[in-house]
Amino acid sequence: MSIRQRLPLSRWPAIGLAVLALAGALLFGRPVLRWVWVTFIRPPAEKPMLPYGELRVGVDASYPPFAVDTGNGQLIGLDIDLARAVADRLSVPVRFINMGYDGLYDALRADQADALFSALRIDPLRLHEARYTAPYFDAGQVLVRPPDTGIDSLKDMDGRRLAVEFGTEGDLEARRWERRLHALNILVYETAAAALDAVRAGEADAALVDAISARLWLRDHDGLALAPEYVTSDPYAVAVQVGNVKLWEAINTALAALAEDGTLDAIIARWL
Amino acid sequence: MIFSPRIWGELRLAGLPWRAWRALIFRLALVALLLAFLRPASPRAILGPPQTVQTTQPLLCMHTRLIDEVEEWKIQRSLQLVRELGADTIVEFFPWAYIEPQPGAFHWEQADRIIRHARNQGLQVIARLGYVPAWARPEAQTGGLAALDAGRGADTTLNYLDEAHYPDFARYVAAFAARYADSVGYLIIWNEPNLAFEWGYRMVSPAGYVALLQQAYAAAKAANPAVVVLAAPLAPTLEPDGSPWGLNDLIYLERMYRAGAAPYFDALAVHTYGFTFPPEAEPGPEILNFRRIELIRAIMEAHGDADKPIYVTESGWNDHPRWTKAVRPLQRIQYTIGSYEWAEANMPYVEKLCQWVLRYPAPTRSYPDNFTFLTPDFRPRPIYEYVQAYAQGREIALP
Repeated sequence: MSIRQRLPLSRWPAIGLAVLALAGALLFGRPVLRWVWVTFIRPPAEKPMLPYGELRVGVDASYPPFAVDTGNGQLIGLDIDLARAVADRLSVPVRFINMGYDGLYDALRADQADALFSALRIDPLRLHEARYTAPYFDAGQVLVRPPDTGIDSLKDMDGRRLAVEFGTEGDLEARRWERRLHALNILVYETAAAALDAVRAGEADAALVDAISARLWLRDHDGLALAPEYVTSDPYAVAVQVGNVKLWEAINTALAALAEDGTLDAIIARWL
Repeated sequence: MIFSPRIWGELRLAGLPWRAWRALIFRLALVALLLAFLRPASPRAILGPPQTVQTTQPLLCMHTRLIDEVEEWKIQRSLQLVRELGADTIVEFFPWAYIEPQPGAFHWEQADRIIRHARNQGLQVIARLGYVPAWARPEAQTGGLAALDAGRGADTTLNYLDEAHYPDFARYVAAFAARYADSVGYLIIWNEPNLAFEWGYRMVSPAGYVALLQQAYAAAKAANPAVVVLAAPLAPTLEPDGSPWGLNDLIYLERMYRAGAAPYFDALAVHTYGFTFPPEAEPGPEILNFRRIELIRAIMEAHGDADKPIYVTESGWNDHPRWTKAVRPLQRIQYTIGSYEWAEANMPYVEKLCQWVLRYPAPTRSYPDNFTFLTPDFRPRPIYEYVQAYAQGREIALP
């Protein structure tokens, strides 16, 4: 019996569908299974949201102004204030655990910390081991220029002078734009402050620096302003244990409330 | 029967007969297939003629991060750039968890790839071994739905190895040493065991590490008597005795010797970072800086190990704008080059001075990115260009 007799044409669509389904299961089976498991089957989490009755915050306190050790074990900074404000909203005490950056995510995995408030960027490669909240700050690269110059983005810098700090992300980003624009004159300085000073002195038309450097400099200097568009985005978020959905929801809710009532802006303004 | 042609023949969906749907699905599938072929292929990584490294600085070495690199051409490109930098040696991590995910089932493909390309570029490989597979850890996820739901509650980390599984790790070390007997001459056993998180978030234990080293050393030598076994580099830290986070590296090394470590390593791997200090800054027990190597060397000499060399397998400066232990990019260049000049003039026992790190496969999105010489998309940071010029004996004016 020939193959055509065994499998008449009318059955080929069904066979094709079966092959496609098999291929789909092989390619996408694991994530689909995970979604079904997490959404419909998984039993309710047995662990309480905060099993130790406190919010254990992992932080690398070597990163001013977000977190820094004053020398006697006391931690201060934007992330410290934010964690305290969130803990207040959750009506629980907070305990800070100061550790190196390398150990932060393992601390979540090993249940040494409930959450990380440590100027963490949302990292797609970490989603299997951490659950990120909504961002609370953007530290991306920004243009700083005198107001009313018509410079709102790097597209407006064609034929103009751009100050950057040597070797930084701003420097690399400027070199990328140098190839896109007809004539971008990049001026390299040793520090971000020197690049910003150059704009104020009229040596450059704008500076491209990270938002933290820009905001810190603008606190003490007049005459320049941030461009409305960020050149790059670098959002900071809180990370919690990937399975602790309740805590993730609670911190997200707390952050939204802090943003709504102005507390978040006040904390940022206190440090930046 | 769901696949009966009669049922399908009578079926109508959205007013269209099945035959029309069938034709439409067939055409869409054909278009999808054609589009898949239109996708540009990844660059191919073809081994070229064997290369040799041209350098004026034989101490220069790079720590790479290639084991997580998915595309082979990126492994090749990274190693080309190491050679072009003027470094003749790399340090690379070969995790046990990746290579033996099930007991006795070895997956050497990625390790083979890295070592093949390294040899092709004329590079010597120092292999760091560690990372425990799930099957060798307590509370291991055994697969199935429980594994899909990993992350709920406490779990052991990839650095957790209890004594019952030391023989399993030793077998992996032996398998690695045997497989690469003609291409990898140096093995580092574990990494920074004086930090709690590198010891599976347990209290650190110099004696426990020495027991591990002893078994690994015997296994490595049995598999390849010529291999040089390096004791683990310790993290430079001032953590006091009893700290849950780690132990001062000088104290830890002293206790390693007291626990009888000396016969079980041929050379010592060392991590030393300059942090905010220039390379020539005086060392001191309470200071973490580049010359902490000298304090480590003094402990080795006190225990009769003056004839063993040191391989600095991680070093360097960070130029993040805000990390408290960073310097400015210009200082990073000056200090890095200065560290080679200092080591060459004052540290005859240092065989290699490796920089952390050439490049990450993906950004960490935090200050560790500012240890790299290249961005993930292979853009050289200024440090790369200046160190390359130094290794080539060229002068480049700093801005």
